[in-house]
Amino acid sequence: MYLILSSILFPILAGLFLLVRHRTPLSGETPTDRKSLIALTGCSLIITAIFVIAALFAENGFTLFYLTPSLPIYFRVDSVGRIFSLLAVIVIPCAGFFSFAYMKHEEHESRYYGFYLLVFGVLNALCFAGNLITFYLFFELLTLSSMPLVLHNGSKEAVMAGLKYLFYSLCGAYAALFGIYFLYRNCDSLTFTMDGALRASAIAEHGGFLLVVAFVMLLGFGVKAGMFPMHAWLPTAHPVAPAPASAVLSAVIVKAGVLATIRVLGMFGTDFLKGTWVQTAWLCLTLITVFMGSLLAYREPVLKKRLAYSTVSQLSYILFGLAVMNETSFTGALLHVLAHGFIKAALFLCAGAIIYKTGKTRVEEMRGIGKEMPVTMWCFTVASLGLIGIPPTGGFLSKWFLALGSLKSGIPVFGVLGPVILLVSALLTAGYLLPLTIHGFFPGADYDYNRLQKKEPCKLMRVPILMLTALSVLAGIFPFAIFLAYFAVTGR
Amino acid sequence: MNFICNFPFFSILLSLFSGTICSVLPAKAAKVVNRVVIIAVGLMSAVLLLYLLATGESFIYWMGHFPAPWGNEIRAGVLEAGMALFFCIIMYLSMAGGAHKLPGEVVESKHNLYYILVNLLLSSLLALVYTNDMFTAYVFVEINTISACGLIMIRQVGRTIEAAVRYMIMSLLGSGLLLFGLCIMYDLTGHLLMSNIKESVGLIMASGEYQIPLIVSVALMCIGLCIKSALFPFHAWLPDAYGYSTVSSAAILSSLVSKGYIFLLIKIIYRVIGFDIFNSTRIIDVLFVFGLMGMIFGSLSAIRENDIRRMIAFSSVAQIGYIYMGFGMGTQAGMVASIFHILSHAATKSLLFIAAIGLTDVSGGSRKFIDLTGAAYRNKWAGAAFTVGSLSMVGIPLFSGFISKLLFAQAAVQVEGKMLASLIVLGISTVLNAVYFMKTVIRIYAYAPDAPYKGITFRDMKAYAVVLVCFILLNVILGVSSQPVVDMIGQGLAMFA
Amino acid sequence: MMIISVILIPLITGILVPVIPFQKRWQKEVFLETAVVLNSILVWYLLLHHSDSTFLLAHFTGNLNISFRVDGMSMVFAGLVSALWPFATLYAFEYMTKEAHENVFFLFYTLTYGVTLGIALAANLLTMYFFYELLTLVTVPLVMHTLTREAILASRKYLYYSLGGAAFAFLGLIMVIVYGSTTDFILGGVLDPAKTIGKTNILLLIYVMAFMGFGVKAAVCPFNSWLPQAGVAPTPVTALLHAVAVVKSGAFAIIRLTYYSFGTDFLKGTWAQYAVMSVVMFTIVYGCSRAVKETHLKRRLAYSTISNLSYILFGAVIMTPLGLVGALTHLVFHAVMKISSFFCAGAIMHQTDRHYVHELNGLGYKMPRVFGIFTISALALMGVPGLAGFVSKWNLAGAAVESGNPLAWGGIACLLVSALLTAIYMLTIVVRAFFPGKDFDYGTVSDIHDPNWKMLLPLFVFTVFIILFGVYSQPVVDFFMSVATGAV
Repeated sequence: MYLILSSILFPILAGLFLLVRHRTPLSGETPTDRKSLIALTGCSLIITAIFVIAALFAENGFTLFYLTPSLPIYFRVDSVGRIFSLLAVIVIPCAGFFSFAYMKHEEHESRYYGFYLLVFGVLNALCFAGNLITFYLFFELLTLSSMPLVLHNGSKEAVMAGLKYLFYSLCGAYAALFGIYFLYRNCDSLTFTMDGALRASAIAEHGGFLLVVAFVMLLGFGVKAGMFPMHAWLPTAHPVAPAPASAVLSAVIVKAGVLATIRVLGMFGTDFLKGTWVQTAWLCLTLITVFMGSLLAYREPVLKKRLAYSTVSQLSYILFGLAVMNETSFTGALLHVLAHGFIKAALFLCAGAIIYKTGKTRVEEMRGIGKEMPVTMWCFTVASLGLIGIPPTGGFLSKWFLALGSLKSGIPVFGVLGPVILLVSALLTAGYLLPLTIHGFFPGADYDYNRLQKKEPCKLMRVPILMLTALSVLAGIFPFAIFLAYFAVTGR
Repeated sequence: MNFICNFPFFSILLSLFSGTICSVLPAKAAKVVNRVVIIAVGLMSAVLLLYLLATGESFIYWMGHFPAPWGNEIRAGVLEAGMALFFCIIMYLSMAGGAHKLPGEVVESKHNLYYILVNLLLSSLLALVYTNDMFTAYVFVEINTISACGLIMIRQVGRTIEAAVRYMIMSLLGSGLLLFGLCIMYDLTGHLLMSNIKESVGLIMASGEYQIPLIVSVALMCIGLCIKSALFPFHAWLPDAYGYSTVSSAAILSSLVSKGYIFLLIKIIYRVIGFDIFNSTRIIDVLFVFGLMGMIFGSLSAIRENDIRRMIAFSSVAQIGYIYMGFGMGTQAGMVASIFHILSHAATKSLLFIAAIGLTDVSGGSRKFIDLTGAAYRNKWAGAAFTVGSLSMVGIPLFSGFISKLLFAQAAVQVEGKMLASLIVLGISTVLNAVYFMKTVIRIYAYAPDAPYKGITFRDMKAYAVVLVCFILLNVILGVSSQPVVDMIGQGLAMFA
Repeated sequence: MMIISVILIPLITGILVPVIPFQKRWQKEVFLETAVVLNSILVWYLLLHHSDSTFLLAHFTGNLNISFRVDGMSMVFAGLVSALWPFATLYAFEYMTKEAHENVFFLFYTLTYGVTLGIALAANLLTMYFFYELLTLVTVPLVMHTLTREAILASRKYLYYSLGGAAFAFLGLIMVIVYGSTTDFILGGVLDPAKTIGKTNILLLIYVMAFMGFGVKAAVCPFNSWLPQAGVAPTPVTALLHAVAVVKSGAFAIIRLTYYSFGTDFLKGTWAQYAVMSVVMFTIVYGCSRAVKETHLKRRLAYSTISNLSYILFGAVIMTPLGLVGALTHLVFHAVMKISSFFCAGAIMHQTDRHYVHELNGLGYKMPRVFGIFTISALALMGVPGLAGFVSKWNLAGAAVESGNPLAWGGIACLLVSALLTAIYMLTIVVRAFFPGKDFDYGTVSDIHDPNWKMLLPLFVFTVFIILFGVYSQPVVDFFMSVATGAV
């Protein structure tokens, strides 16, 4: 109990402390001491990570208090939560340390770290939430606390993007809330389960309407996971944030939407949804998103935006896996959560390093970048391969499971169409990521080698990138994650 | 026969003669006589009322002890006595409230003429209230018309002459129609005394012959009295007549003269035709519709008006619409509501006229709204009184207007076919009332720092302020303890039958 | 006897304010605050030790009388009003230092307290109607207070709307008088089934009219335009009256009319219910969308009030006990949230003299307390879990789901759309204040700071309650439940 609580409260309190204590200096005031700020943030990140890892082994759930007599705030660690929590606890500190170096050239650092820690705490709470209400509470808080990361640099564009992010997310959250109201009446309790919590009588009475409710909830939570048609916020919001924040947003925070979708699926039960129009519509939407995201990424010249579009596409791989609703594809989906999380974090951090060192943001400017920053670009390449799905990286394994599950499912049309689209999208992924590597390392004959400078970033940046890249490969070679995912499915 | 039974006769005669006496007295003395007469008549009415309440039944007074059908009769019941008392109160207050304006409005040499007219008016009103004879009623209707014309015209500005002429024409048209109706009625029944006519009317209705002439006669009488009491659409004479005459005249005309005719109409309905027979004709539907239209169009005209006194005058059109709507319902409850509204409107409208003059006085005599801005700060008493009057008109609880609204609505609910129409029009009319009265109230309480006019304090207008307070009290009393009044009206109506 | 004294004390206090020649301003403050606090304590004492007896003040006509009684509903409303008034008065002392005609202001401000309590404690429809009309009259001078042209126009509109509304509410009163067995408030309604046979449709029509009539005060669309305009009044007025006392009286009156006079059994499932529910649902969305468009801070909050009042009415027209619970929850919680945000707006106006949203850039750093509190109230209004707004919305939506009425399910969608719009219009302010943008010149806000304790204390107290209600609403909701089922 205390471990879970402290893994949630400690970062939140630390974040609030930073926000209040290290008030952003206004013009004319002396800036706050950067060293102490970083030390504080770093310590908090590490301590929180330790708490979280310890909390992963916690067994029992507990109720913190009752919001209203029938609405407990309830925390529990279950296997699905563990996987997401694992992702968060690795990516966030990594990106955090990266930002210690990166944030030198941005203002309002303490505000950034404050909200960064808040997001960490809220994410932990989200992973450990044991019922829908608790989940919803932290889902909203996650939106609110991550918004300042998006609009951090304060430019007009960033503020608009932040608001767009906020309103899309809230829109989704409220659609989900609509469903929660109905679930609350038609379930015995809102505690998470994987086998459906609807009362049999309720299904018999207005099953048709409950399907609508389920679809609305899936769409609503799908907003956070960037599912078509409510994906537009993602390519706007993610790139304007500072690079490490983009990494966290793209790799972890959007996964909250995936987690939510899993929870909703569990509440309704796959038996209830399988074979209905909801499944068909959902599959359709995910496949559209997969294809469209890749295509848009392919056309996008700005690197971070390209990565954001790639996130749109990749998240729908996961959602596709969930929509197929069998164990194999579910395993694939969970694996892709991890794989994509590490890979996308690594990619964004690489992009951040490039921006930090060279200030270049557009892909066509990056000719020869591999010569200037070989380590970074190698990591970028390896991660790219993972995203494309070249064995033995994590991406390959997850996509394998996804395709396999889809083929095994026996769903007409989509069962076959799905893997085809996944494949086409993988090709597109190769198409939008590999040119960077190619032009980066082989700038062509007319490249002026005299102006070449070594611009390799400092250790504080290099190490997190290396770690995340390594993890993305390891996830494929040592598929310990598979076992985790397996446990999640079987519930052991 | 008890001595008190002579009081109705005394009061008519007293006011009639005092009018004549006034013509030879100087202005000051005429004023005193006038006041004394009003008070005396009021006291007599009050005593009579108490007596009637105590005995519980009405009586018929034979003039010169000639029995019907030769003699002339006076009839007194609770309703008549109460109405006479009320008329006296309002008249006294109106006279007192407008007294300080009189020197400015009327030439000094005509002051005693003014009091003659007032006394004559009072006597004609009393006669209309008490008489049991249709022809006597007609005679006093004419006297009433003439004295009212005089009251309008006595303030000699161009507009009043025009107004008086207009009033004269319309009024004479009305009394002409009344006379027509009366003739037909006399032709059909051979009687002029109310009680006798009623018997014959009953026989005619039972026999099935001459019904159409009878209805025509009733309709003619109704229209005649409607014109005289300014029911929409016969109200064209009203705004100028009320708007430009002297204050007291306006207050008296609006609250008493038209009410005298309405009261006569009530008497005709009950005592000449019979309530049930009247209700079985289509005339009540016509009255109902005109009443509703009056409620709406009177208020709409008032909203458009830019002159405070004409606005109040137009509001009278709407209020008279209320009264006729009550008639049109054709139920006892509707009638009670109408009679209560006669009282409440009389109390409120004269208050408004008297208060308005206080406001215009401190605005350089201008009656335009733009000049009245902030007038309530300059004359606090008049401002407060005007506010009370307005609230009563809008129908805020605590004031008399609310009770009449309540009674009307309650009566309306009991009439199946007319319920929705009357309720909705009642609602709309309240909204419209609120619009123009509240507009005025806010206007007079708006702040006008650069207004060139001087304020006035209590010390400068003690009598005036006292009158206003009396009016406010009258309003509040009618609003708070209305039950005895309503009971009395019911009792009086019962005596009519 | 005590029940009438809690109404009279504020009335007398108010009248005394301009009469007593106070030497210094603080004496007046002490006098007023003491009277108001004492009265509030009396009210709470009365509510906690209430008996079922009815206090008869006066006979009107026939069986109509002015009488007072404490029942569940009156406990909710009187408790709410008396809890908020002392804080609002405290706030007003500081706010009114910049305004003229203080005495007149406090006269009517305190009178309003008594009149509002009159509405809350009324034992029958007539008494409530009486105080309802009175409330209009005593609040008009407050709207007119500045006596500018704008204020005059606003108060004029306010009067027309309110009195006009009351005229139609009056028809409802008549129906209850004629077709009811009594005008007293009895949970479940007083209509006499023997009298109403064959008159159902007329009665329903009149109910709809009366609903819209009382709805004028509760700013139901299309009768809502007076409320944003009335925002020209000093902030304590807009905050307390136009977010709590006056507008909630409208909602309160509708609840009385629906649950205690016409009765839900009579109304439920009829076309009248669908009609009023549609109106309310439309208002929920309409108010929010207008708020999004509005750039004047106080008017934006006023539009937000319009929408939120219709939340309450939405709960009321579900016409189940749970719906009433939802309505009451939002009645109380919204009061706290909205008064808090209004006071923040007032504090901003008082300290900086800025009125428009686009002028608020960067103020968050200079007035961290005010804007922090504003943020919390914004989040609460949006319905973020853990704050008061979530609980009330949860109860409303729960009641709607449970009612099984398909239109009510649509109403949930309206609630959520409105929540989204709330987020837009509230959070844009917060974002502006805290994230003014890269090229913002902090010099323009250099001499701005948080207001003094008189303004901040009420804000802090309200914030504490927002959070408290958010995380621990059980006793309050339980109490509402017992009110709605007639147990109190």
